[in-house]
Amino acid sequence: MTSQPPRSMGETIRDALPTYEAPEALRAWARAQAAQGTQATPLIPRVSNLRNLRRLAYAAGLVVAASTGWMGNRYFTAGSDGAKAERVLVASLVDTHVRSLMADHLTDVLSSDHHTVKPWFAGKVAFAPFVPELVAQGFPLVGGRVEVVSGHTAAALVYGRGLHKINLFIWPASAADAGPPTAWYNGYSLVHWTDRGLSYWAVTDAAASELNAFERAYQAAAAA
Amino acid sequence: MLPHLNAAYTLAHYLTRDANEAEDATQEAILRAVRYIHTLRSDADARAWLLAIVRRECYGGRQQRVATVAFDDVPELQLVDQSAQPDAEAGRSMLQRRVREAIAALPDGLRETLILRELQQCTYDEIATITEVPLGTVMSRLSRARARLAGLLSNFVTFEEEYG
Repeated sequence: MTSQPPRSMGETIRDALPTYEAPEALRAWARAQAAQGTQATPLIPRVSNLRNLRRLAYAAGLVVAASTGWMGNRYFTAGSDGAKAERVLVASLVDTHVRSLMADHLTDVLSSDHHTVKPWFAGKVAFAPFVPELVAQGFPLVGGRVEVVSGHTAAALVYGRGLHKINLFIWPASAADAGPPTAWYNGYSLVHWTDRGLSYWAVTDAAASELNAFERAYQAAAAA
Repeated sequence: MLPHLNAAYTLAHYLTRDANEAEDATQEAILRAVRYIHTLRSDADARAWLLAIVRRECYGGRQQRVATVAFDDVPELQLVDQSAQPDAEAGRSMLQRRVREAIAALPDGLRETLILRELQQCTYDEIATITEVPLGTVMSRLSRARARLAGLLSNFVTFEEEYG
């Protein structure tokens, strides 16, 4: 084999060594971290802050998403105290969703059987979440867990949609968390509704239209 | 998208030689990068800046877990030519495996320099910044790494003379 012509060492190395792609969960988490960094800047950034903002976006790589994300934060922040509280809630819902996608955090009760998931919540939350099977509608049940989101002890149901996951957070409704019907934050879509005294927030990185379909499927099952 | 995340994760892979540690180190590095973003002087430096943070996390994290092996304590790897008459494809994948083994066996200082240069295609200046050594050290490490690799693989492949 030494009879073969000389090779470039650089090419030989690049040929032999794989480059690695960051796992999707790590990427989503990094995106959320970068977004939190931008979120900490004032509503109307000074020039120096804008520069930092741009650098942060560059370093963590959110070149496009940062400008839209910042606009998003701005829209959420503009307006009343209620709107501000809502922005905080939306951000923490998305954070919780992202965290849940990191390894082993998605479910505490892993089951596609609603007869297993629903009783699991008894004694863990002070209400009985409705856990329908939605596999026929294209949303297989993955499992559930308990989360604390912005001070609410919530039942989190996890449904799949293709390769995406939907987290549905449920807690007893109060007048304070009326909330908008839809929201988006850093590329994540959220829908919100209240029904029979419970407040529902669904979060996903799937398309917003998928989330609307999920909301309709869940509500139809609940009404049945 | 996060344009430097894969580069960061790849470097962490080669420095830690472990997928889980690579992920931990990358995660720590991102946290640090977000916190110290104001220390980044220009956008053009972003990649080298992030890689420098990743490198520090890789070594810092490992020191907490395992005592590092001193530079000259690493035994020379002996590669045995077990192949009789491999066909071209088998020969290629065998060479790839030997290159990986040889690089994994390089001491940290040589391995990181070689990876940053050949795989990440960093400039010498960037490598000096990332690995926190003078430019001259980068060049001598690079030539030692190449010589060592050429020696380890001399039974299987002849390399062109390379400058720069």
